[in-house]
Amino acid sequence: MNDLERERLARELLERSTADETEVLVAFSDAALTRFTHEVSNQNVATRGVEVSVRAIVDRRTGVVRGNAFDMLSLQQLVDRAAALARLAPEDPLLPRLPAGKPAAPSPTAFVASTADATPQRRAELCEPLFSAAEGGGCWCAGYVSTSSFGITIANTSGALSSFDGTDAAVNVKMVGRDSSGWGEAHATDVGTVDAAAVARRAVEKATLGTAPRSVEPGAWSVILEPAAFGEMLAYLTSHFSAQSYEEGSSFFSDGLGRSYFGDNVTIRDDWSHCLAPGIPFDYEGYPTQRLALVENGVVRNVVTDSYYAKRLHRENTGHALPAPNSYGPQPLHVVVAPGTRSLAELIASTERGLLVTRFWYIRTVDLKKAIITGMTRDGTFLIEDGRVTSGVRNLRFNQSILEALRSCELSREQARTASYSYSLVVPAVKIDGFNFTSATEF
Amino acid sequence: MSKSAGARALDAAMSLGAQFADVRFETVRSERIEVRNGVVAALADASSSGYGVRALIDGSWGFAGNDDPSDTALDETAARACAIARAGASIARQRVGFPPPRAYVDTYRTPVLRDPAGVPLGERVALLLEAERLLHVGSEVMVGRAWIDVWSTVKELYSSSGAQIEQHLLQSGCGVQAMAVGDGDAQTRTFPGDIGLYQSGGWEIVEKARLCENAPRVGEEAVALLRAPQCPSGTYDVVLGGSQMSLQIHESCGHPAELDRVMGWEANFSGTSFLEIDQLDRLHYGSPKVTIVVDNTLPLGMATCGYDDEGTKSTRSEIIQSGLLVGYEMSNDTARAIGRESNGCVRAQSWAYTPIIRMCNLSLLPGDIPFDNLFDDVRDGLYMESNRSWSIDDRRLNFQFGCEIGWEIKNGKRGRMLKNPTYAGMTPQFWGSCDAVGDASSWFAWGTPNCGKGEPIQIGRTTQAAAPARFRNVAVGVGYSPAAS
Repeated sequence: MNDLERERLARELLERSTADETEVLVAFSDAALTRFTHEVSNQNVATRGVEVSVRAIVDRRTGVVRGNAFDMLSLQQLVDRAAALARLAPEDPLLPRLPAGKPAAPSPTAFVASTADATPQRRAELCEPLFSAAEGGGCWCAGYVSTSSFGITIANTSGALSSFDGTDAAVNVKMVGRDSSGWGEAHATDVGTVDAAAVARRAVEKATLGTAPRSVEPGAWSVILEPAAFGEMLAYLTSHFSAQSYEEGSSFFSDGLGRSYFGDNVTIRDDWSHCLAPGIPFDYEGYPTQRLALVENGVVRNVVTDSYYAKRLHRENTGHALPAPNSYGPQPLHVVVAPGTRSLAELIASTERGLLVTRFWYIRTVDLKKAIITGMTRDGTFLIEDGRVTSGVRNLRFNQSILEALRSCELSREQARTASYSYSLVVPAVKIDGFNFTSATEF
Repeated sequence: MSKSAGARALDAAMSLGAQFADVRFETVRSERIEVRNGVVAALADASSSGYGVRALIDGSWGFAGNDDPSDTALDETAARACAIARAGASIARQRVGFPPPRAYVDTYRTPVLRDPAGVPLGERVALLLEAERLLHVGSEVMVGRAWIDVWSTVKELYSSSGAQIEQHLLQSGCGVQAMAVGDGDAQTRTFPGDIGLYQSGGWEIVEKARLCENAPRVGEEAVALLRAPQCPSGTYDVVLGGSQMSLQIHESCGHPAELDRVMGWEANFSGTSFLEIDQLDRLHYGSPKVTIVVDNTLPLGMATCGYDDEGTKSTRSEIIQSGLLVGYEMSNDTARAIGRESNGCVRAQSWAYTPIIRMCNLSLLPGDIPFDNLFDDVRDGLYMESNRSWSIDDRRLNFQFGCEIGWEIKNGKRGRMLKNPTYAGMTPQFWGSCDAVGDASSWFAWGTPNCGKGEPIQIGRTTQAAAPARFRNVAVGVGYSPAAS
């Protein structure tokens, strides 16, 4: 469903609504993913669908209804049900009017037709170099190749009308050796720029280098986190920048907006326009999303808001609403960490004794307020001795405050996009001294 | 209702060369009501209808989902599934897909005492407003939340080998949560368990939770935790409450016993498993007190149904028998690879997803010790309840879990409240240290509504039935040693 069709549907729903105010979100998705293991596709899927969400407001009361039936009767029922739910809700005296606003034009590289049109055979072709690299490297591999297109349109009775179409392509592969593994990922809006062979080569190199891993003692180590590892760690900090967390007191800086918490080389922005991850220039209320500094030279500068929290906290609406309803409040969804000056290779070369971490696994918050997290290393953890990567090591568990980790750190000059089902970030590698590993596992 | 549409999709797939095909139609209606700090933050209905076609060609599966019910879309979706299967077959190094061995014609309905649809919306909202209000026992309770979820699913599965299965499933859940903030700390208490009470059934599940009766205590405990002493670090005997046992089973037995993980099908994401096939009937997973079964006929289980999403009839089978590894959670393809038959552990999140192995309903069978007597033999230990942090390595060996609340156990008696309790271990050693499991009177079906697995990720609803249990010589207080913070 293209933008014109979505906008027509949104207008139709707005016209049918009898609520005081109405917001319509139309989301289209056509997502395909070829998953493989042991050089066989074990889950090979594609799903196409459209979903409509209607938020109705009556006398400062809100109801939300979602559906995916588009006959006239179903559409009428959708808006009527939303209004009926709203009439049953208690009044929220702080509820603002739905916002209007014209967002900036999206990046011209956000949608690439060849990605949207990629066939199952095209994805199979991208699997082939991964399989070949595994076989050539004495490994077996597991991972996926995905291509997707999506579009959203948001319209409301205050006049907002915003549409965005985007594409994504990704390769994600783990190479498994006799007693080691390596991993790599690549993400792009243009499937033609995804270099599956390069991802496979790097993952095989890691699996090979990690053969016969050594055991090292847990304790405080100098670590270099590659972008995937740093990104996974940082994903547990981003929610602190929500105006909701800030107001409710669970954010680490609830008492300290404007205070320095990190090293002065740490700058973290929310920027939907970054060339490595061009995103949606508006939020799920259709309001323009500001590109702003969350942390600037170590100082916490901003929280992100939506229309509700902007009114509640008497702050500007930064355009970071999630789809209604949600329990999370506004969130930064396009986090970018500014690069440093030295390369990853130079960071390794500058390390007398430390650990190089490819990625983390199963990070969870141990202490919200102190931003202490725990997690495991995975798929390529290496010992650095005298500035050189010398061997693989068995995986380790860490318990670490993110705040302390970034108080004194060095960032690499290369940035990469790293993503999972729950986040997409642009980050460099980072070197941290005194990173706390607390136990080891058997592999 | 979808029989003719099913026949059309199957005919289309078979005419395009599929050796087997099935089509699953689903309509899911979900309701979410949430009150947050006195405001109805969510009053939402969602309904989603669609279908997914699976086609098997040359040992390779293709899946295509669509929400367009037109004849044209049915034909196109079947063709897409076949094209995907064919593309997979073109690069496969081996054949992994096989048709299910049996085809059933049947209907199943979740037993329901009171249909939530018959409970006026105003009554539901009023219950949550009152429960949430009761959490605010003092100014330090900065966030109160109360919620109800209901999922009603109608599924129809048709296959080219003659399966015709219609299922009407209903699952309900609710909970309250208080977060207290003060003295540079934030502490949370949740009830029931750590995520609420989630079971198969209707409004009777919400009534059973008794949210209003428990809300003041939940708020008081959140506040008290702000000033409670820190859980010590060291080696202690530990008694875990029922909902924490549910989490322990889920993470350290449920996931590693998924046979797709064991076979490497989740290696790049969810991980693999230490429960390797050559360890079947050999590995001592835990002490003789530990018997764990997968039972998709379990009353109140979130995964309870008549048939899984491949059409395998629900059954019960043992995973751990008196400490010994004896089985897995299986699909047709994975079971065949080890010479067994599926035990019906395959689910898809919705019509839009291909079915994959889920842990479904996993039960640690009750022991013979009343809950209060679990403390009797503990001289210096800890009792912990309600999970708040869970992490385990990608083979499910090294774990570290944290709870919302703990208490000292001194000479068999529960003592002071402790905050930030954590414990850690290696899975087989930890289960090997289990020397007592609570009796049937403390055994409960704890539902998990949000288990993530697969790529694209799918959310599954599982149950882990458990009683509180006792473990000896456990590492406690990890994560809060001076080095960590």
